[in-house]
Amino acid sequence: MSNPFLVNTAKPGHGLIHLALLPPSTPRLKTTSYQYPLKLISPAPSRTEGDARHLIHTVYLLTYGGGLVAGDAIELTVILEPTTRLILLTQGSTKLFKSPSPAVVSNQRTTTTIAPGSILCYLPDPVQPFEHSCFEQSQDYHVTVPSAGSEKPGNLCVLDWVSNGRQANGENWSFHRYASRNEVYLCMSEGKRRLLLRDNILLDRNDIEGNVASRMHSLAVFGTLILYGPLFQSLGQFFMMEFKALSRVGGRKWDSGSESGDEEVDAATIRRVQRQRQESTDGVLWSAASVRGCVVVKFGAPTVEGGKRWLHSMLTHEGTVVRELGERALLCLR
Amino acid sequence: MNTSPSASLHALLLLSDSALPLGSFAFSSGLESFLAHNKQHHASSVSAKVQAFEAFLEHSLANVASTALPYVLTAYHHSEQLEDLDNDFDASTPCTVARRASITQGRALLTIWDRALSASVSSSADSQEAAKALTAFATASKTCKPDLYGLQLNSHFPPLFGLTCRALSLAESETAYLFLLNHAKALLSAAVRASVIGPYQSQSLLASEKLQRCIATCIKRETARTAEEAAVTSPVMDLWMGRHELLYSRIFNS
Repeated sequence: MSNPFLVNTAKPGHGLIHLALLPPSTPRLKTTSYQYPLKLISPAPSRTEGDARHLIHTVYLLTYGGGLVAGDAIELTVILEPTTRLILLTQGSTKLFKSPSPAVVSNQRTTTTIAPGSILCYLPDPVQPFEHSCFEQSQDYHVTVPSAGSEKPGNLCVLDWVSNGRQANGENWSFHRYASRNEVYLCMSEGKRRLLLRDNILLDRNDIEGNVASRMHSLAVFGTLILYGPLFQSLGQFFMMEFKALSRVGGRKWDSGSESGDEEVDAATIRRVQRQRQESTDGVLWSAASVRGCVVVKFGAPTVEGGKRWLHSMLTHEGTVVRELGERALLCLR
Repeated sequence: MNTSPSASLHALLLLSDSALPLGSFAFSSGLESFLAHNKQHHASSVSAKVQAFEAFLEHSLANVASTALPYVLTAYHHSEQLEDLDNDFDASTPCTVARRASITQGRALLTIWDRALSASVSSSADSQEAAKALTAFATASKTCKPDLYGLQLNSHFPPLFGLTCRALSLAESETAYLFLLNHAKALLSAAVRASVIGPYQSQSLLASEKLQRCIATCIKRETARTAEEAAVTSPVMDLWMGRHELLYSRIFNS
């Protein structure tokens, strides 16, 4: 017989976000439970300006002290039911405090189930590993393959990025170990699944001759943006198009000035030129690839601010994120 | 003197030969892009350029070892997982240029297998099993039928290379060493053609104890890792590789 009383099964660092769908179409945040050192805060759900049909929920992922102390373990489960929309945010960069020895690892595991038609938008602040910190994290996204032909698959816009530490204190990739893994699985209803995408980065000082900083050249921040699903298709195409339109490396700019100087230039081109100018001032290096139905964008910049500015301008110029989820989704990139 | 060298030595020499029609000379694994992006830093002196190349060589070897070697060795031991490994490697290579390079060489290896190597497999059970799996994969990859999830076989190089070595009776340690040495050779040859170093300098780097030690360390570190744990250890490499497409002029395919 099942226990009629509420059982508190929450373990330290465990959390659950369950965004349920009340028939016919009202999403409701059914559960947000959490245990120290994790804290989840959900402000009132919002609607986008242009389209009031969708209720968008937001949850802030917080940790006490703004980061993880050596040995902390966080395990978060996120469940999105069909057609629900969730924004996950952080409040400032997640700090990783120093570890007494490389053997004491703090870790964070997030497992998200994305039902057909739902949207997950996770654009956090960068992770900031302090000197001698030791950290591993994994983000698993289980995308349910739609069974009926009329259903559309879920949508993902997720960012994973890491900075070089406290620059003001002279830190420059001075941690012991940083590992981050992002995996997208396609899941069938019978529990069968297939790996669609894996992005696994491991930087361990013991494995590297010299220091991690030399591996990262002069970058202060490195990130991966993963886009998946029909709603983010145009955003993905935008990244691909803008990547193709970047000026050639090692080429001479013969076409810098036009002969008459009064050609018709459309607004999109002007914005592109402005953005590219900012991009090269900030030293942003990026590349985009369209593989297996996903668009994966990798970028690096010599300053955190530069990387943030670039990503924010790309996402706002294209507009899908703000249109479908509202301004709040970009809060961490401002 | 023992006058009959082992069969595996013969296979080892075949697979390490730069005349093996894999087309590896067409790829620089991001070197060309790296040089184009860092032109102003290296313009100062020749020695700065050589130094930067040596660092690149080491980072590239470490990165290839951490991303691909686990796939080579898992395929070597588990021929039945070949299709899964092919899928997972494809999923783990979200870079257009790197993916294209791996698939091109994987297909070339399958063709060599089909037309040349498959005829001379030893009769040992291990080799026969690996050969069977390779031939089955070669047949399946020709049909191009998407699976339940809409994904296709891609013929990525690392798992196919591991299994080919198994079919030709190479030892595990030989397979790992050969895989990394071939990568180093391809990079050094690309460096000579990109005029970073001269041919003698390239040979001296290739023969150096430093390179041998670097390969040995990589192997030691990676043999313990499963294919699921394969990771990028030099993230910037992905940027150089991805941005190869943006070069104004190119002599390599990657």
